[in-house]
Amino acid sequence: MVLEVRDMRTVNIVIVGVGGQGLITIGRILGNAAVLRNIGVLVSEVHGLAQRGGSVIVHARIGDPHSPLVPLGGAHALLGLELAETIRYLPYVNKNTLLIVNRRFIRPSVPKARMPPVEDTINKLRGKGLKVIDINAFDLASRAGSPVAENIVMLGGLVATNILEGMLSLDDFREAIKNTFPPRWHEVNLRALQYGYNAVKEKLSDK
Amino acid sequence: MAKPVLEKEGKTVFLLGNEAIARGAIEGGIGFASAYPGTPSTEIIETLAAVAREVGFYVEWSTNEKVALEAAYGAAMSGVRSITAMKHVGVNVAADPLMSSAYTGVKGGFVIVSADDPGMWSSQNEQDNRYYGLHAFIPVFEAYNPNEAKETVRMLFEFSERFEHPVIFRSTTRLSHSRGPVKLGKIPERKTRGTFEKKPDRWTLIPAYSRKLRRKLVEKWENIRRELEEWPFNKFYDYGSKYTIIASGLAYGYVMDALEELNLREKVNILKINTPVPLPHGVVLKALERSEKILVVEELEPIVETEVKKLAFEKGVDLEIHGKDLVPQVGELDLNRVIKAVASFMNIDYKPPEPVTNIDVEIPPRPPTFCPGCPHRATFYILKKAANKLRLKPVYSGDIGCYSLGVLPPFEEQDIIVEMGGSIGVANGLAHTIDQPLIAIIGDSTFFHAGIPGLINAVYNNAPMLVLVLDNRITAMTGHQPHPGTGLRATGEKTIMIDPEKIARAVGVEYTKTVDPYNVDEAQKVLEEALKYVVERKKPALVVMKRACSLLIYREALRRGIENPYYRVIEDKCTACGVCYDFFGCPSIIPKPDGKAYIDPVTCTGCGVCAKVCPFNAIVPGKPASEEWNKLWF
Ligand SMILES: Cc1ncc(C[n+]2csc(CCOP(=O)(O)OP(=O)(O)O)c2C)c(N)n1
Repeated sequence: MVLEVRDMRTVNIVIVGVGGQGLITIGRILGNAAVLRNIGVLVSEVHGLAQRGGSVIVHARIGDPHSPLVPLGGAHALLGLELAETIRYLPYVNKNTLLIVNRRFIRPSVPKARMPPVEDTINKLRGKGLKVIDINAFDLASRAGSPVAENIVMLGGLVATNILEGMLSLDDFREAIKNTFPPRWHEVNLRALQYGYNAVKEKLSDK
Repeated sequence: MAKPVLEKEGKTVFLLGNEAIARGAIEGGIGFASAYPGTPSTEIIETLAAVAREVGFYVEWSTNEKVALEAAYGAAMSGVRSITAMKHVGVNVAADPLMSSAYTGVKGGFVIVSADDPGMWSSQNEQDNRYYGLHAFIPVFEAYNPNEAKETVRMLFEFSERFEHPVIFRSTTRLSHSRGPVKLGKIPERKTRGTFEKKPDRWTLIPAYSRKLRRKLVEKWENIRRELEEWPFNKFYDYGSKYTIIASGLAYGYVMDALEELNLREKVNILKINTPVPLPHGVVLKALERSEKILVVEELEPIVETEVKKLAFEKGVDLEIHGKDLVPQVGELDLNRVIKAVASFMNIDYKPPEPVTNIDVEIPPRPPTFCPGCPHRATFYILKKAANKLRLKPVYSGDIGCYSLGVLPPFEEQDIIVEMGGSIGVANGLAHTIDQPLIAIIGDSTFFHAGIPGLINAVYNNAPMLVLVLDNRITAMTGHQPHPGTGLRATGEKTIMIDPEKIARAVGVEYTKTVDPYNVDEAQKVLEEALKYVVERKKPALVVMKRACSLLIYREALRRGIENPYYRVIEDKCTACGVCYDFFGCPSIIPKPDGKAYIDPVTCTGCGVCAKVCPFNAIVPGKPASEEWNKLWF
């Protein structure tokens, strides 16, 4: 897959998923990495009620942002930790947005909720002309040592694209992870980051 | 790894807005902090509590916002710098001492943080607390990013002390819950002990003294307004345009990004305002004189706009002033809304990038839900069964907390939710005007916060109602803060554990019981008995549903590496009826493609309530609870 060259001062990323999937942590690592490199950054998150298994969106703006929210249709990348939430937040996406998505649905516990099939959903996204990179972050995280590191696998996937090119490197994220977690979590998370990175690099060289 | 909020002077760290506010308070030399939790303010005091001993100041979670504000006010009377923080509606609870504090003033710097919630992400209303500043004669300060918030709060202690006057720092959800780089300053020595000087004409608001203080207050207000001309975060950027945009607080950030998006940077003058109340007149007049057209961008109510229009009128400046005609009054600001307003103000066409929306995949809604093992779910299930068995159709007077989610299907057992403590309060009226039985449902933290006066009233004026205290041993909704019933203080010390049932007894409730909602059969019996008592004897009764928040226990188990117990489904017995996943609604129970239930062993907490719910006895213990697991519950 060929990714177009970026030319912009501020990169807009929306991170979407379900409360409890570690979306806020992704935002923190992105911010810590940017601060290490002295790059402007604002990340906006949701606390309180929505964290009880609700739908969550984290906005991250890196470069020269003055305000914290990504405008509708203004995301350069969408990191979807869950597919229903990816669909729900499509209004942030335009035809040039890069979607990095986790091949997974989480069923909300509302009466009679049924989820559509994974493959079909991803095909329909592509059918809209969207650039979609799909990985199985849950399995990769489990292989890295903990399914809880699913979020870090997804972050690794984002780093593998050219979205943050010229701003932040894989090494910056390694360092940011060390600054974000206590030492006993370093190994698993660094491995998760690498697995996600490799998985997306592979997909990119495939096509 | 040092705590980011305690990193050294000169370092730039990535902080949450609320952490930045906390750091500002530390750099401002606080000796005292008190608050009651409430989104989006909670992390301010949480951050302070985590470092209080290390830095050396006092922090408490108070019973409610009124007490929190009074406590911090008291500390400031003695000359100790103090901070209190609350969500916007918390200021309503604290409004009485707030008004008085402007009359008496303070000795030590006194900062009141009001965290407003435009967009109502986790609140019952969208009130703009800058009005409190106008109402109480207390200056209101804002900031547009975490770094400025830190600096502002730091400077406010000195400002407040100089005028011997309280100040309000008004944050919003987007500031409190955004993270950004913050450049740290010095952590100074601080004063934690003060002295109280007796001075009745200052500290006692009897009418004779209040009349004098009222006159002084109005004078002080104009002095403060003049002083704010020099506030460093108010700034006029004059680019020689005839257009000027006045932006208050966070709106400045949106305006800057909107101008960038519209290719108008440095082509329009900007007046950045961080002190909306009282609005300094000099800087505004300068901007008015340079312009032919003004746009005021502010979130929620037209507070700056009204003052600007008044000023233009008084000074006879003739120009076009826009505000809420172009910037929405309802809901939170965002870049889309501000771009639209600015484009229309500047008379330019703007076509936003086209979002991709119409995709033909159907997805269910995802409202927040009770967690796996949540004792509230068990309570609502049992309560429904008890009411049905007695053929009663009660009115459920609800309250604010995680249990508010009982309003949603499948339970629908919250008929009224208005404000904290309202469950019992409103039932005190309904009890005398309607015939249905009344059940007031209130959480443990909420009971201590504002439930007790209502309960006393119910006894005093005999309002028959069943008060259910959902005692999950913590303030869960706002992220697990201790309260007077938990036996723990904000900074971790053990303290007396106050028992809601004993309070009820002490104020004269004759029927009281405490049960465990995990003990489904016994709890149902108790609820039936209590309901009968209320209906037949026409008196108030109180039952405490006592079982700790399962999320709290589950997280603690994760931290300590203790494995969770779980239940499992016997395939052959499961008929795919869906009662457990569709009507009991535990997120750990998932339908398989054939409709039979599957219990996720990773998230199940082994509460076993679903086993009672299953009509076919198809749910049985999978892995039993270990001794360590059982010990976590309290
Ligand atoms: C006046 C006011 N202060 C604070 C809040 C924020 N708030 C919402 S619910 C809640 C407490 C809930 O605790 P509890 O009653 O124990 O119920 P739980 O969430 O634990 O079920 C708080 C502090 C509010 N809504 N109103």
